[in-house]
Amino acid sequence: MKTSTTLNRLPEPGPATTPAAVRIVLAKVGLDGHDRGIKVVARGLRDAGLHVIYGGIWQSPEAVAQATLDEDARWLGISLLNGAHLTLIPQVIDALRRRGLDDVGVILGGIVPPRDIPALNELGVSGVFGPGTSVDEIARFLKSPPTRLNDAVELVSSSQQRDRRALSRLLSLIAEGRQIDTIRDALATCTPGHGQTAGPTPVRTVAFTGNAGVGKSSLIARVVTELRSRQLTVAVLSCDPQSPVTGGALLGDRIRMSGCLPDEGVFVRSLPVPSGSQGIAAHLDLMTRALAGFGFDVVLIETAGTGQGDVAVRAVADSIVLVLQPETGDSVQWEKAGLLEIADVIVINKSELPGAERMESELREHLNLSGPAQRGPNDSRHGSDDVRRGSDDVRRGSPDPAETPDRRSPLHQHLVQVSAARNEGIQQLWKILSGSPIEE
Amino acid sequence: MPTATIPNANRSGSMPVGNTYTTISGMPIAPQYGPADLVQVVYDREIGPPGQYPYTRGIHADMYRGRLWTMRQFAGFGTARQTNQRFRFLLDQGQAGLSTAFDLPTLMGLDSDDARSLGEVGRLGVAVDTIDDIQVLFQEIDLEQISVSMTINAPAAVLMAFYLAAAQERGLDWKKLRGTIQNDILKEFHAQNEIVFPPEPSVRLVVDLIEYCTRHVPQWNTVSISGYHIREAGSTAVQELAFTLADGRHYVDETLRRGLPVDSFAPRLSFFFNAHNDLFEEIAKYRAARRLWAELMRETYGATNPASWKLRFHAQTAGCSLQDRQPEVNLIRVAYQALAAVLGGCQSLHTNSMDETLALPTEHAVTLALRTQQVLAHETGVTNTADPVGGSYFVESLTSRMYDESLRYFQRIEESGGMLAALAAGFFRREIAEAAYQYQQSIDRDERVIVGVNRFTQSDETSVETLQHDPGVEPTQVESLQRIKTLRNRGDVERTLSQIRKVVATNENTFPALIDAARARATLGEIMGALSDVMGRHQLQEQ
Repeated sequence: MKTSTTLNRLPEPGPATTPAAVRIVLAKVGLDGHDRGIKVVARGLRDAGLHVIYGGIWQSPEAVAQATLDEDARWLGISLLNGAHLTLIPQVIDALRRRGLDDVGVILGGIVPPRDIPALNELGVSGVFGPGTSVDEIARFLKSPPTRLNDAVELVSSSQQRDRRALSRLLSLIAEGRQIDTIRDALATCTPGHGQTAGPTPVRTVAFTGNAGVGKSSLIARVVTELRSRQLTVAVLSCDPQSPVTGGALLGDRIRMSGCLPDEGVFVRSLPVPSGSQGIAAHLDLMTRALAGFGFDVVLIETAGTGQGDVAVRAVADSIVLVLQPETGDSVQWEKAGLLEIADVIVINKSELPGAERMESELREHLNLSGPAQRGPNDSRHGSDDVRRGSDDVRRGSPDPAETPDRRSPLHQHLVQVSAARNEGIQQLWKILSGSPIEE
Repeated sequence: MPTATIPNANRSGSMPVGNTYTTISGMPIAPQYGPADLVQVVYDREIGPPGQYPYTRGIHADMYRGRLWTMRQFAGFGTARQTNQRFRFLLDQGQAGLSTAFDLPTLMGLDSDDARSLGEVGRLGVAVDTIDDIQVLFQEIDLEQISVSMTINAPAAVLMAFYLAAAQERGLDWKKLRGTIQNDILKEFHAQNEIVFPPEPSVRLVVDLIEYCTRHVPQWNTVSISGYHIREAGSTAVQELAFTLADGRHYVDETLRRGLPVDSFAPRLSFFFNAHNDLFEEIAKYRAARRLWAELMRETYGATNPASWKLRFHAQTAGCSLQDRQPEVNLIRVAYQALAAVLGGCQSLHTNSMDETLALPTEHAVTLALRTQQVLAHETGVTNTADPVGGSYFVESLTSRMYDESLRYFQRIEESGGMLAALAAGFFRREIAEAAYQYQQSIDRDERVIVGVNRFTQSDETSVETLQHDPGVEPTQVESLQRIKTLRNRGDVERTLSQIRKVVATNENTFPALIDAARARATLGEIMGALSDVMGRHQLQEQ
């Protein structure tokens, strides 16, 4: 398989490498909802340059441990004001240990009697920060740099044997841009390979793009639930913007997916995206390959909002879903973004809002799609129109097909209304994405 | 004796480090105020004498001469039996009313034997699973004499049904019951997150309670419209004021839609505000609140009964202002905060204990907190005359400004499509989180001095004794719940639960069905389950 010469290879230097930011998962376990402190800390740590994955309130010990594993976080920060730390923290530590995360540092914030601190330290808690703590103090504590030696080839091979921790580490290496060539080679020898011939079940990759606030994460959460009900395993790569100044990031998409977590069949990784990087993290293709090699059936990519450069997702995804919501702007804006052209499926989320119908007809007009007029007025809601487009715009406006690595002949573009909030239209969306025949 | 160490001599001098003088909420303050600041203010219309519309100076002409505020310490822990003992201790100490703290499982509508309750049963308050717990909680307390406050929100309707059914079983007259139930779900969505159902059905339950108690329990305060938790979550004083009153307006609007005349229920709406560190800002906040509410009730809603115009409020000192360093210093903070509440004309007051950043308070700490109020009431002389700060150029001008800024917030909420639309859009949470972050940054940047934290620190701190949680509570409570479950009639439980599901699906008031289920010994968790079968559960979204 691998040769010893690739072992202990040093990280490749160069501009493509991002400095390894300290990653921390922050969450509250138990029933207590006092989240002022944890939200302030999350923001403060982001401003101090850390990558913060905010998991929200009401989390179970299992869920926070799973998040720490999948996010390859160096730290887990728990906030508790419910006094139940001596019950819940041992469960958290246990859940971490069972996942092999003995080297993850655990810190605690909230109301903890000094008397209990020795017992918590004994359990493996590294720091307890009470109400008078400044965010700087916490940031300084956490910035002690993680020293990890990672052998890329070994990580690839272990991750192919369903070692989740190795997979998680591997994704970190890829995200930081380290040992990319080694990883690419190793993946090429181990996996069926994305978009090429053949494993028994080639992974499907679907990218969701659209402006902030249109409900991409909530929609993805619904799609994940739908896929799980079909016994498909799914990985989500969720891109969130990173501060150009501090390099910090507050990654909050995971929280919207907490309804489907923790679940062995679901893997969620939050990825900070530097500004000017087209709304997606670098090397998503390698990540997708790694996830496919591990055995995930479907990979869903969430972009960090739309921009001119979002066309980049075209290169890594089998299908692109553009998520819009009623009344977010006029058709001129969509046109400018160039996104309407690259999307395979245009989703109008929040179909319960007024204006969804009007938006649909405007879009149809703009895209020269046949309208719902051929059908009964209600048939178009939460349904789709399978629309044939003229052969002259087969390449979606791209003058040179080679520039847009568009693998399939994009004769079809779909428009569908869904409501993630009400869980409506999700099955229909997946049928379109999976290429199942659309029910008339 | 440890001595205070002053880390940097030139930073130990006079007030703010930055060159701006503001309230703790960031409102700019002039070096001095005078008659010119009040030329716009018309005394009769905007201030008026104490006891007269718009009640800026207080709701009573003689204020504390007529009656002191109620010293009402929030208490509850462990089993109903343990809290009942604490209640009786507090009454013996001279406290005039009771205030019940429930544990987190109860606040979230879960039974003590639910897996999610593990480790939290009886910890932060008393555990209540059935009507029998309520019976024990208030045994040997004369509920026709003592007023009882219950701090509960998402399951407020169920707890109220337990209380009413329990009173009935004791042969008490509902018309004589006095007390308050918090029953304010909107601020949970804004700030405290003790949420079970989605916003709309949640508000329906709030209004069911208002409607039912207005008809059957006329002395009961049906909602305690709360800014306290909004402030604790990090809001500014103006946000606390504006969001609370906006919540109140929403409840009034929804209750009017039931066809109740405004004067039938408005006198029983009460308020609950925070008493934070900034003395004058807090006083101005309470005064502006009274004026805003009086005007809303009379001008906007057309209430004609003066009782509807009067904003009555409970105050609690700011838990979020307390520090874990040098915890005894918290006693001093609490005393000043209590002074603000009293100078602002509160009707009842809870003073926090000095050790609450560390654990639930010890009996010693609770007693000192109560003594703080007693000194204030009986030794300082602040009770001698109504609104002693009235007419202060500074206080009156600050009051006007808080009033104006609240109106601006009302406008913004309106522009977002009203309360529920603004809530769904995350407006309140965003505003509060932003203010909280700004506040923390100002401390971290040393622009704000917190004694013992970023100034006047002490390296050798003395530790205080804290209350130790009794690990026996959870098994005892679970056992007693299981005993009740075996003794009750399963058929009655099923029948009353399915009646709840049926009623919730209609527009009828849920109370008769809830009271029947309480009598049948259906548990809190079972009843909340039946409600959520129809109402659904709220998924919390962030950012």
